[in-house]
Amino acid sequence: MNSSVVINITRKRENPPTEWRLLPLRVDNAFMSMAIDEALLKLNAEGKSPNTVRFWRWLPSTVSIGCFQNVEREVDLGAAKKYGVDVVRRITGGGAVFHDYDGELTYSVICRQDGVPDDIIGSYELICGGLVRGFERLGLRADFKPLNDVQVNGKKISGSAQTRRWGSVLQHGTVLISPDVRRMFELLKVSPEKISDKFIASVFERVTTIERELGQKPSFEEVRGAMVKGFEEALGVKLTEGDLTGEELELVEQLRLKYASEEWLKKR
Amino acid sequence: MGYAEFKAPKGVIKVELELSGDVISLISLSGDFFMYPEDALEELERTLVGVRTDRGSLLEAVRRFYDSMGVRTPMVEPEHWVEAILRAAGGSR
Repeated sequence: MNSSVVINITRKRENPPTEWRLLPLRVDNAFMSMAIDEALLKLNAEGKSPNTVRFWRWLPSTVSIGCFQNVEREVDLGAAKKYGVDVVRRITGGGAVFHDYDGELTYSVICRQDGVPDDIIGSYELICGGLVRGFERLGLRADFKPLNDVQVNGKKISGSAQTRRWGSVLQHGTVLISPDVRRMFELLKVSPEKISDKFIASVFERVTTIERELGQKPSFEEVRGAMVKGFEEALGVKLTEGDLTGEELELVEQLRLKYASEEWLKKR
Repeated sequence: MGYAEFKAPKGVIKVELELSGDVISLISLSGDFFMYPEDALEELERTLVGVRTDRGSLLEAVRRFYDSMGVRTPMVEPEHWVEAILRAAGGSR
């Protein structure tokens, strides 16, 4: 028997890794980015969009609030205006986050719900596992901290938020490269007595960044490359470059108006 | 009008309410917790209107809400909502 035939048969029996789409690194304003995430979630649920991983940055820098938060309680809107920072409500729960254009890479994973554990903590752990492996590729020892954080040396370096709608899952979150922490406290409403040097020092004990841990700031592409490999390993998939489809962009355009509206921002 | 916050293991629950005697007449919940499905929070607010602000009545109403909606709030328990509401009610009296 010809040995190459045997090899071919063996190969056929192995399941090739499932292919997911990887979108190019995007830079968008907050309303566009939130609209892309929701459009991908909705169309994925309808079977019209593939499971997708994407990385992006916020321009201008933005404060996002969780879907259950009250914007006036959480954000100093005067400071946001002063610094040209946009403010947007997410469709995911969780807290207010300052997304610094120069200091944060953001990721989104959109997939069918049956692709992740039903257990919520378990599903965060699976997806955050991609980040953990990505940080390891950058030379950092990272671990998952329930519910939704990744930490390095016991300090938070990434926070995520997840929603499940219509049969699909969207999880998005931060990868802190070198955010401006002092600016963050000017924008988020922390009780004024807390914004002391002592308080900021205590934040540095609980939160860290890639720049601080490595002693240098890697490029966004370098961090993205590490995270791409990390997600491939953790999710057991092959990420293949692709672009947004016309159908997706059409829905994005509709949803963008919702995210930019005062009504949505002040919903709660 | 009463307002209070309570820090649950995952998230701060913020409650604003109005009472009519001992009974909730208006309530607004916000905070940085997670709830699946998200729409359920409005249902929780509706459920709480008309409920007496004693621990037993509140806990019964919140538990009923969890059971009927199949709601999940990781690391936030029915008791945490009750604690937040009792604090806000205490402040409004």
